[in-house]
Amino acid sequence: MRRPARSGAGSRRSSAGSASSSAVWARTSLKSTSRNRGRRNLSLSLKLRLRWAPRVAEWRSSASRASGAPRSPTEFERDPGVDHILGIDSRPPPSALGRTEFIDADIRNPVLARLLPTTGVETIVHCGILWYPEPGAPASALHEINVIGTLQLLAACERTETVRHVIVRGSAAIYGCEGASPYFFTEDLARAAPLRTRFQRDISELEQYFENFARRRPDLVCCMLRYQPEIGADLDSPLVRYLTLAVVPVQLGFDPRLQFLHADDATAALEAAIRKPVRGPVNVAPSGSISLSRILRLCGRPSLPIPHPLFAPAMERLAGRLGAGGLLGDGVRLLRYGRGVDNRRLVEDVGFEPRFDAVAAVRDLATKTRGRRIAPDLHPGSLAGRLAGVGR
Amino acid sequence: MTGDTREQVVLAEALADFLRRVRHGVEEGLDPLAAAQAAAGGLPSRLRNAVEAAAARLSGEYHEDEWGFDEQFAEAVYPVFEFLYDVWWRVEADGIQNVPAHGRALLVANHAGSLFPFDAAMMTMAIMKEHALPRWPRFMVLDWAFELPFLSSFIRRCGGVPASPHNATRLLFEDELVMVFPEGVKGTGKPFSERYRVQRFGRGGFVEIALRTGAPIVPVAVVGSEEIYPKLGDSPTLARAVGAPYVPITPAFPWLGPLGLVPLPARWRIEFCEPIEVAGHDPDGADDRRVVLDLSEQVRETIQGKLYENLVKRRSAFL
Repeated sequence: MRRPARSGAGSRRSSAGSASSSAVWARTSLKSTSRNRGRRNLSLSLKLRLRWAPRVAEWRSSASRASGAPRSPTEFERDPGVDHILGIDSRPPPSALGRTEFIDADIRNPVLARLLPTTGVETIVHCGILWYPEPGAPASALHEINVIGTLQLLAACERTETVRHVIVRGSAAIYGCEGASPYFFTEDLARAAPLRTRFQRDISELEQYFENFARRRPDLVCCMLRYQPEIGADLDSPLVRYLTLAVVPVQLGFDPRLQFLHADDATAALEAAIRKPVRGPVNVAPSGSISLSRILRLCGRPSLPIPHPLFAPAMERLAGRLGAGGLLGDGVRLLRYGRGVDNRRLVEDVGFEPRFDAVAAVRDLATKTRGRRIAPDLHPGSLAGRLAGVGR
Repeated sequence: MTGDTREQVVLAEALADFLRRVRHGVEEGLDPLAAAQAAAGGLPSRLRNAVEAAAARLSGEYHEDEWGFDEQFAEAVYPVFEFLYDVWWRVEADGIQNVPAHGRALLVANHAGSLFPFDAAMMTMAIMKEHALPRWPRFMVLDWAFELPFLSSFIRRCGGVPASPHNATRLLFEDELVMVFPEGVKGTGKPFSERYRVQRFGRGGFVEIALRTGAPIVPVAVVGSEEIYPKLGDSPTLARAVGAPYVPITPAFPWLGPLGLVPLPARWRIEFCEPIEVAGHDPDGADDRRVVLDLSEQVRETIQGKLYENLVKRRSAFL
């Protein structure tokens, strides 16, 4: 394991100590003035494992990701107000980092609790909550990574005196997917429905730990970001792979209302929350909603309705192709009943307005993935369009 | 030759011409779709527009609001409900001017029709057909319906949302017209012998919503909905098996199979009563049980009184 350079740590810690005495709102107002001086006592630890948010955050464009070389550094790497950025992951980043220092550590390992205090960070961003199994993280390990990992991280935060903000990139799955539910969940409606899937229980459990931590440490700003599923043309997730199948299986008779967050907004929302952390949970979702049938029509993908009791087994057959173990539990319910959340807190408190609404995010995916079709275009929409002579 | 048949002949000729052109195109070596595209220019504008509208619909270019309400879809099923409204149930609507043309309002009605309560649909039709400024109301539907395939997406596209106070409040803040049926299952599931006896209005949740949003309450009395599926008994075993709140037994259902789903042609009357303004109340009154229960009882009594009046006015249930 590579240790971070210790020389700068001491000075950072002492300067951070002076900032910690002021209140949160004072700190945020301080930022603008201190930025003018070109120096700010914010160091940032991107606390990550596997699905690396900075990988999404920093190297968003597909071309650069494919070539493996970062084209543009993250917003924070360019920000002179940020002293130091650390990335912690058990896998090395796929491409070279700018001035972000990489630490090779596993989130489940208690060594984190000894390592983190030495870095002197102020802001900790936990992006290590996995939605789907991945290579190296099978479905059976998800609970371990998500819940135990968060616990280890919180333990490490307790020991790190310099920490001021803790931000967790969580999931809106805590609300569940019910046929009869509020169409727009507000933040106070978590756990209103029974916890039905494994992932939902895991999220609920780790939020419980996080809430307790926040209550124990009122001096810290603890923010839980509840993300709706993310889509993007260059995002390689089971959901995107599902939506870009040549023929998309759906559940007969069900047409869920969905909100998919554009990948650019997902990154920008995280950055906005880092710049202005607020206390408590915040839903991160686009405005509006869109039905699955319209998503598939916009993407030009024909759907294959399957009676809903047979949907899960059918997806299991497809799971190898989708890499979508996670689609089996939570995803099946999401694609049956859908879920919408209210994003007013994100807009008003965090001050971030998603650039893409629910329809625009799908349109963007549709335009960028249209060329990926291998099979001939058999969607009735495009056939009728060609028949009528309307260009699509 | 009448105008209608002449139009049909013109259409048939245009279609034949279209097919002829497609064949020529294919014979000239074009692929069938390209040939069809080239030939479509010769179609009469009405047919061309219809195809273009279908193409736009199928390629997802239509509007759907954030509640999943799809106006195009609602307009497509409109004729079916129009037939039920005009011909099957011969609905007469009174006091339609009491429905505000703009802004938020909460329509509160009695609930009946054991198998499929059609009262929300008929109230919608009354507003769409009789009101000077028609607009699509939203209606609260029993949660269970949203667990069902087909029915859930059908209801949602027509403007139904799950009956949750969060949904009603948000809709009213968006200045929509919202219909609620506070009796819920107690209203639809009551036996035929208790018809037109308004049941308890829950805990008055609708009053709380109206007080919080400042929306006027419009009581609505619906007569006729009780006779469409007279509930003679129910089957708790069947209800448990399918997870339904109840499974009614009517003179026709389940004995006649799908035919039992055809509602009886009762005669309907719908009366929209004078709005009850709650704007004068303090929004904090929503937590005052006395205010809430008083208002709730006032609405219930208004509806009950109007039900008796309209039953007398209707004279005969079926003729």
